[in-house]
Amino acid sequence: MISNAALTDLIIKMADDELIQGHRNSEWTGLGPVMEEDIAFSSMAQDKIGHAWALYRILHENLGGEDPDRFAFMRPESAFKCSHLVEMPNGGYDFSLMRHFLFDHAETVRYESLQESSYEPFQQLSKKLKGELKYHTLHANAFILQLSNASEEGYARMQTALNDTIALAAGIFEPSAAHEETLITEKVYPGEKALYNRWLDRIYPVLVKASLNLPDMKTVAPVYGGRQGFHTTHLAPLLKEMGEVFNLDTEASW
Amino acid sequence: MYGGGYIFDEPNGKQLREEQLHDDPEKLVAFEERIARGEKIEPGDWMPAEYRRQLIRLIEQHAHSEIIGALPEGTWITRAPGFKRKLALIAKVQDEIGHGQLLYNAAETLGKSREAMINDLLSGKSKYSNVFNYPAKTWADVTVIGFLIDAAAIVNQVANAKGSYGPYCRALERICYEESFHLKQGHDAFIELATGTPEQKAMLQDALNRWWQPIMHFFGPPDKTSQHSEKLMQWKVKMASNDEMRNQFLDSYVPKIWELGLTLPDPALRKNPDTGRWEYTDPDWNEFFRVINGGGPCNAERLQVRKWAEEEGRWVRKALMNPTERRSLPVA
Amino acid sequence: MSNDSLDPRVNRLKLGDANAVIKVEEGENWNVYEVFHQEKRGAHHEHVGCVHAPDPQLALVFAKEQFARRKKCVNLWVVRSADILAFDVEDEDMFANNLEKNYRDASGFKVMEKINKFKQSK
Repeated sequence: MISNAALTDLIIKMADDELIQGHRNSEWTGLGPVMEEDIAFSSMAQDKIGHAWALYRILHENLGGEDPDRFAFMRPESAFKCSHLVEMPNGGYDFSLMRHFLFDHAETVRYESLQESSYEPFQQLSKKLKGELKYHTLHANAFILQLSNASEEGYARMQTALNDTIALAAGIFEPSAAHEETLITEKVYPGEKALYNRWLDRIYPVLVKASLNLPDMKTVAPVYGGRQGFHTTHLAPLLKEMGEVFNLDTEASW
Repeated sequence: MYGGGYIFDEPNGKQLREEQLHDDPEKLVAFEERIARGEKIEPGDWMPAEYRRQLIRLIEQHAHSEIIGALPEGTWITRAPGFKRKLALIAKVQDEIGHGQLLYNAAETLGKSREAMINDLLSGKSKYSNVFNYPAKTWADVTVIGFLIDAAAIVNQVANAKGSYGPYCRALERICYEESFHLKQGHDAFIELATGTPEQKAMLQDALNRWWQPIMHFFGPPDKTSQHSEKLMQWKVKMASNDEMRNQFLDSYVPKIWELGLTLPDPALRKNPDTGRWEYTDPDWNEFFRVINGGGPCNAERLQVRKWAEEEGRWVRKALMNPTERRSLPVA
Repeated sequence: MSNDSLDPRVNRLKLGDANAVIKVEEGENWNVYEVFHQEKRGAHHEHVGCVHAPDPQLALVFAKEQFARRKKCVNLWVVRSADILAFDVEDEDMFANNLEKNYRDASGFKVMEKINKFKQSK
């Protein structure tokens, strides 16, 4: 019997990341660099919010969690377990693209591992999302490679964006002192350390092809804290925004 | 979403009228016969200079309306209540950009590049539908836009889809298909508020009151004052008169508003049982022209944001640009 | 930072001057690729529109979301519009099929007539 507390903890972290990253990415809808890319990036933002919804539904239907809408849009900031990477404001398209590249590869290795999870709902969900994630990483790789190889400015911007995001992205894999061992032993997933290494194996060859320098990861201190409910100053205003209409009347149907 | 039935005129008519004099009269006869037979005109076909000019103007303004139209609704993307409404709204705003993409392509087949069209939008030379120069103040505004502005756009676009220019008709076919989703999700969110708590209903009524005049403006000035172009009708560029489309909209949608117990801020609004046509108080047409000329509440912000997007995305476009490659226009 | 917009997204942007002259350069929106959509395995790829893209790979990436985010689709083709060769529209008359060439059509052969005639003749 898998521990419900451990599962709940893992699901909230994954879902909160997707929810906040999806919101950040959706801010580009209508404002992208070219219409075709605007459309593509918006679809991927929708996919992320959709993934969050699916995870909150698992929580609601299988683990006694709250209604997904209430859980997503009415929780206090301290109850959120998203990583700091996803909280950051969009900045320029360089920052957003690099975050998309790093985040979506992290998401991909995570969901790939869940295809063999002992937790049935994870298996089902990860199989369903496989195609979407394939497109996301295809898109991210194409942009990172092309922009880095295209012009001096493109290269410089991509390298700066990588420098700015890498420690934040490493923070996605913040382990849980309380639940990590249980989840590994119960074969729910292989644990954050293993995913982190798989993630590096995925991003490294793309970065090499793009001639981008990945800093020595031993010298990079991952930005932790989000998983324990400590957040950047950017999260609270976004959460307030996300719940603004809902909070006009939490009992009404919208 | 939105064409806006009104094609804003440009002041360079004189030069083109002269070009028109050079149109080969025999070809013109064949062209007009082809349209009269219900055949479509395709990009490579001979066409009168004025036909080309009017179409570029019409399709370009329609395209601008889509990408500018994404802004008022985008106002509520991060705040849309709950997963379903949120995803539907993002998907809808995304569709508007998608429609812009289809329409700019259709206009490009006539010989004006996407860049030239965007520049004319940014400089204010080329217009877009006036309705997007109004603010979306509350969530209820989004439901009014999604339901009623999209409904008005559908009336306009279904008519235009029967027009004579092939690429525009094909774009509109796809657009109308997606509009049916927009209308449905808008109607659904509108009904949710109309049948909700007293506060929700009041919020909706307030939005409706504010949007009614822009909606009445949507199809353009009354036929009796607007220059009625027989030629554009004959060439199937303009498919129905402004009043005709406005009447059709009122006929289809006023009952759907009234049936929910909502009111419209025009005591004179009624369907005349004898004529079968709708009667209403003329909206303030001076306001309409004031907004066209930049005086609306959001004109400046809309262009400012659009300029930001073009400026911010420039490095991405430039990095991947290959100046030596031969460019071409879309073929169909 | 606030731009006094009702859109919180917009308030997070560093907007420029409303009257600034912003011009997009010709070619900045890249090249044009025609897109062909295959609805199901075994079906023809059909032309559905075009995308602006810097190269075929990104054209495919873009085409996928612009032309296959709703309708069923199993594959897409993209090809540079410049590489499409078509007849001149004035040459449409070449396609007018001569009615006398009915030897190409099934309807040009009246088999039953001949059989009936043969049967009657017996």
